[in-house]
Amino acid sequence: MPLPTGDTIGILTDNLRLRRSVLPIPVESAIRWTKGLNLPRGGKRVLYTGLMYQLIPYIEDLVEAQTKLGDSWLAGLTGVGRRMNRLINVAAFLAHPSKQEQEAYDRIPRNVALLLQRAGVEFGSLYEDDLYSGALAYDLGADEALRAHAQKVYAALKKHGVQEVVTIDPHTTNMLRSVYPALIEDYDIRVRNYLEVLAEAEMLPHHRLEGDVAIHDSCVFARYEGVVAQPRLLLEGAGLTLCEPHHAGTMTWCCGGPVESLYPQKAAQQAERRVEELHAVADRGVTMCPLCYVNLQKAAQDRMRFDDISDYLLQAYEG
Amino acid sequence: MTVLTPDLVDQVRENAEFNASACMNCGVCTAICPLGSEHLPRGIFRYVLLGMKEELLKQQETVFSCLLCKMCEVNCPAGVHIVENVRTLRHYFDRQAFGL
Amino acid sequence: MSERKIGVYVCHCGGNISDYVDVDRVVDAVKGEEDVVVARTAMFTCSDATQQEIYDDIQQLGLDGLVVASCSPKLHTFTFRGVAKRAGLNPFLYTQVNVREQCSWAHTDDHAGATEKAIRLVRAGIARTRLLEPLEPTVVETVPKTLVIGAGIAGLRAALGLADIGLSVVVVEREAEVGGWVRRLGPMYPHDKVGADLIRQLESEVRRRENIALFTSAEVVRKAGSFGNYMVDIKTHGQSSMTMQLQVGSIIVATGFDTYQPEEGEYGYGIEGVVTLPEYRAMLDAGEGPLIHHGRVVQSVAYVYCVGSRQGDGGPHQYCSRFCCSAAVHSALLLHRRDPAAHQYHLYRDMRTYGRYELMFLESRDKGSLYLKFPEDEPPAVQRGTDGRLLVTVRDQLTDQSEVQIPVDLVVLVTGMVPRENEELVQALKLPVGRDGFFNEIHPKLRPVETVVDGVAICGACQFPKNASESVASGLAAVTQSAAMLKRGRAELDPQVAAVDPELCSDCGTCYGICPYGAISPRDLTTGKRVAAIDPATCKGCGGCAPECPERAINLQGYTRAQILAMIDGLTKEVV
Repeated sequence: MPLPTGDTIGILTDNLRLRRSVLPIPVESAIRWTKGLNLPRGGKRVLYTGLMYQLIPYIEDLVEAQTKLGDSWLAGLTGVGRRMNRLINVAAFLAHPSKQEQEAYDRIPRNVALLLQRAGVEFGSLYEDDLYSGALAYDLGADEALRAHAQKVYAALKKHGVQEVVTIDPHTTNMLRSVYPALIEDYDIRVRNYLEVLAEAEMLPHHRLEGDVAIHDSCVFARYEGVVAQPRLLLEGAGLTLCEPHHAGTMTWCCGGPVESLYPQKAAQQAERRVEELHAVADRGVTMCPLCYVNLQKAAQDRMRFDDISDYLLQAYEG
Repeated sequence: MTVLTPDLVDQVRENAEFNASACMNCGVCTAICPLGSEHLPRGIFRYVLLGMKEELLKQQETVFSCLLCKMCEVNCPAGVHIVENVRTLRHYFDRQAFGL
Repeated sequence: MSERKIGVYVCHCGGNISDYVDVDRVVDAVKGEEDVVVARTAMFTCSDATQQEIYDDIQQLGLDGLVVASCSPKLHTFTFRGVAKRAGLNPFLYTQVNVREQCSWAHTDDHAGATEKAIRLVRAGIARTRLLEPLEPTVVETVPKTLVIGAGIAGLRAALGLADIGLSVVVVEREAEVGGWVRRLGPMYPHDKVGADLIRQLESEVRRRENIALFTSAEVVRKAGSFGNYMVDIKTHGQSSMTMQLQVGSIIVATGFDTYQPEEGEYGYGIEGVVTLPEYRAMLDAGEGPLIHHGRVVQSVAYVYCVGSRQGDGGPHQYCSRFCCSAAVHSALLLHRRDPAAHQYHLYRDMRTYGRYELMFLESRDKGSLYLKFPEDEPPAVQRGTDGRLLVTVRDQLTDQSEVQIPVDLVVLVTGMVPRENEELVQALKLPVGRDGFFNEIHPKLRPVETVVDGVAICGACQFPKNASESVASGLAAVTQSAAMLKRGRAELDPQVAAVDPELCSDCGTCYGICPYGAISPRDLTTGKRVAAIDPATCKGCGGCAPECPERAINLQGYTRAQILAMIDGLTKEVV
């Protein structure tokens, strides 16, 4: 089935416009990660998830439903129709990830929150106002939808008196730090990624980790945001032996993730080639982006295991 | 035989950035693309600059399957903002082909 | 002939020679030659150490002849003449034998043959040297005045340069107005100064100087005499037509160029709206705002590059005209300045906007100029479109080799420079003309403005295509060359020139017409006998006259009949 690119982009822009996310998810799923952390609501500095990790189980669920058809999860939505989607949140019917699946991803923002606390950083959360950044709309050239959405994000930040945002994933970092200033007049939010914050904090590890791990740089971190040294500093500080694949650092190779929404087969091919490169240098890999994680782990199957960088860091630096 | 449309680049650009004038057709972008896309990006940029609209519209899949990974951009000896141009092209397709 | 003492030095040239020529065998073969008192090899004969060795040999062994077998005489003749002179030996008692270009480099596949040839050449050199006699350079007094031919930007600037040094200058311009091509130009790159203003400024400076005389509508019709002391006839046209004779020490030729005129039908030339680069430039320089051509706004322009240049085998203009890429790009910027909305397509073979002009090339691309590269064997075609516009068809090698059609309002043929027809001047000055039709310098790197005619320098675009700044730079180089010679007040000329033995001369007149430099004229001796006489300052030592003389009265000094015959004997002697 030829991919209805136009419909696909239409649906996600509708979602962004009507439901403030390309793939709308229930509020309780979005904020579950904050449970027990006692984070203040808002404040000068907040930890901002951009929903990237919370969205993954929903996407995975849709992907599973769609792989049988050889199409993307967004293409599945288009099957139902853009007109219908405007009235009903189609995704809510199609995706029902289990609690277990969701908690696997809620763990990551929680890891980050604990690490930041360990580093002595004070911060709050926006809870239900922690909105999706619009990264996918930006990538697909849906400029008008993005522009409107960015205003909503900015309004939410302003409403809670936020001056500084600490981000987790590379895409949200890039959107809030490098894209928004061009979209929003007098944009004045300071944006730092938690890896940058932690690297500056010069923490000492409580537990030394051992072994080889292949490092997979995110394209957006390495080539858009200049985050290359920080993850290495932190992981090596934790005691790990980092194994650099053939394409590494600013010359890193993409996981294929960015085209997953439109051309899943191309994404899978690229992920396969990348896994081969990583597998050539180590049996386990570390990622820094949820999209990289999902794509690479799916391609690797049982060949190698990937972990998010925050899992390693929490093991090493947790008090 | 293609008759050139002189203002295609203006249609593509609208208010966004599209600048490939520094491109010297060296081909580094094509060679280094992890997807190995035959047409991306210098060939497609030429279509835009010259005004080869029909040829451009045939390139929808190539334009939308770009990873936006910037491998080409950081290695471009002419400093072309390749990825920004691709986004602008997507926006053009959104308007032109999908009526968004 | 009394016994001579000759030293022979055979060079390895690092290996350039000795890799192919067995230099030891050469030395062995010639050291027994009559009059040779020392023969040896050297790694680099031109090195200070070997020069010192030769110097010592001359002094200690009392050498009175020197043979150096190494590279071309073009390279080191003056080096070894200098060694001889320092050691007290007349520098003309030395022979240079070329065993590099003529032996090792020419016969890399035949070591034995190359060696044998070297032996023969060295023997010939020894044979000549045995018969050499000391010569003294001809010294002439120089007139402190320079004739500048052509009052374009190069000639005008050269005239001012000479005047600043304190020489008198006569400027002769064929046209009624000075300034040449630059006078017709509007804003020029990179300073945006208008060409006409530059010329006005130069002209007023020139007219203000007391030591510069400027003649317009005037031509040089004849030159006589020799370096340092030329007599030139200048003819003025117009109402007061007259011929005047001037005495000058040196001459600077700055006669400029012509632009290539396309044939009817060449890239559509002749169709309404197809113009040459100078025609287009004139349109751009007149007026402001969008360009109007025949009552219509020019919304799009196609430039076809290399028209009349790089014509390949068979074409008369095989060279790259150098200035036109930059000039066309600059014109595109001028149009963009007048009308930013204009679409500009550049159809090129190779862009050669060298040096800082590259920035202009970049700027034009930034401002929307598009560059399409066409294959050499498939040039663009220009035809009249149905709507009164022009249709250019071109294959773009940068876009999948696609053949595209561009509807445009104007086609600019980017025409290059061609040599200016100036046969009379060439004849009058005996100027050396290259195969491409431009005037030739002696050496493009080492003597870039001098010609083989002593005291006659060339500059500007009569030499090869140059832009205005390059023309002025070469004009000032010519100033330095001229002034350096004239300020000395005297000049030493090579004495290896032809001379007539008045005893033998029968005044048959054969040689008068043969000399390409007009150095031979009849002279009446006090005895009443009329003989041919050669002016040593005019003679170039080409030797053309010597074999023509039926009485064998002419000898080229340094290459006399006896010396040549001896060399032939040396060459033909059996190599054992």
